[in-house]
Amino acid sequence: MGATPADMPIPVDWYLYLSAALFVVGAAGVLVRRNLFIILFSIELMMNAVNINLVGFSRFHENLVGQNFVLFTMAVAAAEAAVGLAIATTLFRNRQTLMVDLFDRMKG
Amino acid sequence: MVERILFLVFAVLAVAGGLGTITRKNVVHALILLVFTFINIAAIFFLTQAYFLAVVQILVYAGAIMVLFVFVVMFLNLRTFQEQEQTHRGQRWVALALSVLVLAEFVIILAGITFTSAKGGFTPEAVAAAGGSTRVFSDALFNQMLLPFEVASVILLAAMVGAIILVKKEKSADVGTRAWEPGAEPSAESAEEEV
Repeated sequence: MGATPADMPIPVDWYLYLSAALFVVGAAGVLVRRNLFIILFSIELMMNAVNINLVGFSRFHENLVGQNFVLFTMAVAAAEAAVGLAIATTLFRNRQTLMVDLFDRMKG
Repeated sequence: MVERILFLVFAVLAVAGGLGTITRKNVVHALILLVFTFINIAAIFFLTQAYFLAVVQILVYAGAIMVLFVFVVMFLNLRTFQEQEQTHRGQRWVALALSVLVLAEFVIILAGITFTSAKGGFTPEAVAAAGGSTRVFSDALFNQMLLPFEVASVILLAAMVGAIILVKKEKSADVGTRAWEPGAEPSAESAEEEV
């Protein structure tokens, strides 16, 4: 376990391991699944993994910029969810499917 | 010590929820497990004394964003996809192996690093003395981070406009062409019809 400030009850490494695990789960979801919605969920999962990292380090370095940054990550995640869902809706309307390997019309 | 046990419990539940999210066939089940993961992450924020972020995590992530997802999932009626194959036939084992490899790399690298705190001065005692974590958080946000905050509002506005434009119904008379080209001013009557 890494060095922690005397008053930090949870070592910062634990946050990093949790964050790495969640991020890898999300990356595996993006790579393995065919359903566009599950891929969007996996991206949200990866963003949350990053947020855990930021909050953990914010506590560790006793600095609030990390926590402020999480708020911006959430704003970008909300924007990404809105646009991603709009694209999914449009794709479903045009092709009646959401399996991403079927969207290969621009394949060379 | 209590904090560490709670952290481990919430961490294990969060990862389990994440694994459930990427393995469920039913999109709604995956979504509920994702909300479960987010609530566990909010609990970890509480443990880290980031109280405002924990509440925002529940309100915005587990609340607003997930309601948006639920709404669209229900709207599109995806029940028919459960019979289809859920994973890429050619790449699923390669992808899983690569993911495990990346996790192993993370663990190996993290095990070899010792971090030293920068001691920024915002200890829980200092934050409590300055009026609570939310007050200190907002002080930092609206002093140091004011410009990024305004930029974030522009991003949200752009995303909102983009989402509306993307899902807007095409005119039923000529489905193949857009009702108005991007960049051109919509005529008054077409704007009225689209509302």
